[in-house]
Amino acid sequence: MESTNTTTMIHADKIIKSYYVGTPNELEILHGISLDIHEGEFVSIVGASGSGKSTFMNILGLLDRPTSGTYLLNGSDIGKTKDKALSGIRNHQIGFVFQTYNLIARTNAIRNVEMPMLYAGVKGKERRDRAIELLKMVGMEERMHHTPDELSGGQKQRVAIARAMANDPSIILADEPTGALDSHTGRMVMDLFHKLHEEQHKTIILITHSGELAAETPRIVTIRDGSIVDERRNQAC
Amino acid sequence: MLIENSKLALASLAANKMRAFLTMLGIIIGIAAVIAIMTVGNSLQQSVKASMASMGVNNISAGFSMLNYDEDSSSSEITPLVQPQVLKDMVSTYSSEIQTISVQSSVGSGSVRSGNKTAKVSVSGVSAGYFVAERTSLSGGTFFTPHMYEKGSNVAIVSDRFAKSIFGNNLSKALGKEFEVNVDSNYTTYTIVGIYTYKTDNYSFDGSSGKSTSTPVYIPLKSAQLQVHNTDISDFTVVAKDSVDTTALASEMQTYLNAHNPTYANYQIECYSMQSMIKQSTDMSKNTTNAMTLIAALALLVGGIGVMNIMTVSITERTREIGTRKALGAPNEQILLQFITEAIIICLIGGLIGIGLGIVMGNIASRVMGYPASISLSSIAVSMGFSMFIGVFFGFYPANKAAKMNPIEALRYE
Repeated sequence: MESTNTTTMIHADKIIKSYYVGTPNELEILHGISLDIHEGEFVSIVGASGSGKSTFMNILGLLDRPTSGTYLLNGSDIGKTKDKALSGIRNHQIGFVFQTYNLIARTNAIRNVEMPMLYAGVKGKERRDRAIELLKMVGMEERMHHTPDELSGGQKQRVAIARAMANDPSIILADEPTGALDSHTGRMVMDLFHKLHEEQHKTIILITHSGELAAETPRIVTIRDGSIVDERRNQAC
Repeated sequence: MLIENSKLALASLAANKMRAFLTMLGIIIGIAAVIAIMTVGNSLQQSVKASMASMGVNNISAGFSMLNYDEDSSSSEITPLVQPQVLKDMVSTYSSEIQTISVQSSVGSGSVRSGNKTAKVSVSGVSAGYFVAERTSLSGGTFFTPHMYEKGSNVAIVSDRFAKSIFGNNLSKALGKEFEVNVDSNYTTYTIVGIYTYKTDNYSFDGSSGKSTSTPVYIPLKSAQLQVHNTDISDFTVVAKDSVDTTALASEMQTYLNAHNPTYANYQIECYSMQSMIKQSTDMSKNTTNAMTLIAALALLVGGIGVMNIMTVSITERTREIGTRKALGAPNEQILLQFITEAIIICLIGGLIGIGLGIVMGNIASRVMGYPASISLSSIAVSMGFSMFIGVFFGFYPANKAAKMNPIEALRYE
């Protein structure tokens, strides 16, 4: 069941994102999106390709700044936060899971999972123990010494989820996490997200174009042409 | 973090071994060239210095130099001379600084015949200071006594080479023996009182090899002056006491002599200290070495540009990785540091190989040129520092480019 906790983790108010600002080619992608996400929620943001969902995710993930509007993360105004501080927030509070995994090719699974902890200043042994623990959690203990080249798509995504969990973030942002996987491995990955949500009460934001996947989440937000067109609670969850 | 960055850099280099090696090659060649040239230069300087020092570091040579060379008038002019009294006064003026004075007067070249054996000799009258200035060491017998100098005795100090050729290998047999020298049909008989060790390895300013066919025979200065009926002194050498600033003394002596000696229209007395000559000579070879090192450093510069080039390529290839690292929380300075560390490690490994290669090359070149190899430790320190500087300098631009990448654009990079 959806968490009953009502603490607002994300407060986005009238977010507008434009490119080529101040030029004749100015292009507005997001037209004033407002959305609140509470701690412990599992929300899917659904939209077709080009709807602006990934742009919105980049703003939520502090990889990009809105052109106008207010974004409060855990009460802090992100618009007034400096880049270096944003790096720290990304490192400690947000875990990213990408469609194309984005693992570092030359290093093995353990070192990939260690990476966010490295930037957080976690010491060697503690970092390694935590990485092994996380890889065990996602069922990758057998292949943790392998490099990404030696792993299947599903295995890579599980390593990426372990990496997203490295610094025990409060939010996990997953951008089409099953997009490059077959249905079987995609299922395994979705099960992992459900597990993280139910057992560890993580706030999970799933960006997808698939209505089927969105139907698994307790709250569904639909974006079309840069605006939220539908927002509903999933009665089945 | 530095250790982690170094590990990351080594892993990245290991992933492209051939490329890393080719990048290092420029640094290797540059550093090796700098070290080799500096080693050869250093060897040459040490060798010249040692050779000149063996001739007496406390020596000051004095003589006349022509102010304006004029072919028409030079032949008709009289030979400039130093007045013996002026010399005496000068020695007493600077007695606290002068150890001794060496004056030489040539009698001429001639031959000595003993049975069927012949030896060519050049006879010179010398003052007692001559043997100090020349650092002459005796193989047998004694130097001249003050009495011999005062009286102008017909005694001689000959070379061991001469003694062996005339009197056989047992040098002691030659002592006390007489020999007759024929110089310009004048026959003079001398008694051998001492035998000096003949040096063949003297560094010579006049270009002579030191292996001349005639060996010098020394007689007391007064003996020579009596024979040639001439007490002229055109040049001399002063041996300064230890710890005296010979360059300053040479300058004072020059001023004194030019002020007190009768003046000659086109000549002036010049005094050179051996130390200033050594300095001049080492300065000259230092300048040559520096010029060549600068050329070698250009190779290092080209190597550095190679590092910058490959780092730029590497960063472009790893754009998505940079985006990922930023998304995972790496601050800009961390990305900057990571890539600068990579550039420094390329340059350091290249530098170390280059130093090894440079030492080997420098040693071989020095030996081929006949100097004892003298590795310049400062050149190693400078090269290591310089290669690290190249890493930082040429790594900074690409690393800064990486650090300033927009994370979204980097993540989307195909």
